Amino acid sequence: MKKLLITALSVFSLTAQAGFMDGAHNWNNGSSDPFKSAIKAAEAGYKANLAVNMAWRDTGSMIKEAKKLNAAGKTAAAVALANKAHHQSMNATAQTALAESAGPRF
Amino acid sequence: MKKLITAIAGISFLVGMASADVDSDQKAFINYFKTAFPNVEFADYTNGVYSLDEGSRSQFEEILDGIPPYEEAVEKGGKEFVEFGLNKCAAFKDPAAARVKHPYFDEATQKVVTLEAALKACYQEQTGKKLGSKKGKIARISAWISDQAAGEKINVKVEGAAAQAAYDQGKAFFYGKRGQFNMACADCHVYNAGKKARADILSPALGHTTHVPMYRAKWAGLGTLQRRYGGCLSNMRAKPISAQSELMNNLEYFQQAMSNGLEITDARYRK
Repeated sequence: MKKLLITALSVFSLTAQAGFMDGAHNWNNGSSDPFKSAIKAAEAGYKANLAVNMAWRDTGSMIKEAKKLNAAGKTAAAVALANKAHHQSMNATAQTALAESAGPRF
Repeated sequence: MKKLITAIAGISFLVGMASADVDSDQKAFINYFKTAFPNVEFADYTNGVYSLDEGSRSQFEEILDGIPPYEEAVEKGGKEFVEFGLNKCAAFKDPAAARVKHPYFDEATQKVVTLEAALKACYQEQTGKKLGSKKGKIARISAWISDQAAGEKINVKVEGAAAQAAYDQGKAFFYGKRGQFNMACADCHVYNAGKKARADILSPALGHTTHVPMYRAKWAGLGTLQRRYGGCLSNMRAKPISAQSELMNNLEYFQQAMSNGLEITDARYRK
């Protein structure tokens, strides 16, 4: 019963967290400059994707565009776009592990 | 002595296993298409998408009956082949044989050598200049070389552990999902071949390499197989990978091996 309760609570808390983490989630990891930390995360993820030939087409241009927005003083839009780029890089990382051992379905 | 014999036997077994893998992969590949399209003969896959759709095929045949739009470019490729001294390179003494030989796994460099890679090396040796990888001169010359081998059959060999590893990487690439659309090459060209994507019919991967470099109406010109890879990756919203890179060459190696036994054709028109 105790185990069941712990499992149910864990599932509930993870579901709740996932629900709150929408596309505009702020990936700021405590840096005082939200753009700096967001773009750093996006660039690191993209670089890792490039190294294994799994980068997505638009991530690089999103990073460039985010930098332009930040330079123009549009910080909120810049952070949102950098987070979006980071999100793309994380999805590409998730694909990488599966792609390495992919084979036919027949 | 006993150990040496065991080692040699082991290596021979592994080499045999490697070849068997390719054969069984191709058997399964062909069977998949045979089941999906029971009325299409294996040999007809040399015509790519035109083997699956009657309407497109009659248009294709009409184009071939006239003067195909690539004819002049291929002739120019033949002249360039001589003009730049490519016939002096050992790899191209016999152009038809060169087309059939490539791609192959080179034990010395431990890499796959495509026809275009060999052309680039030869061009640099003869002229001291670099040749592109996707279109223009390289596509024209490569198309002319392939024309010399029209009617011969694709016969890619995968022998030895290192060649098998290159083939396996190409295979994983072909079936692996990538890009924002989370798609694999196989999603379009195996599992959905013959179906429509917007106004186009998706071509079967079986026979993809018989008519390369191809003339595409969309390009209004010739392009290499790896130019097409770049376009496909971009459509999947994946970042295209450099043509003639090791990974793209391994993908080509796998793809060519899957079309083993099909005739090389000079009918290189595609929509």
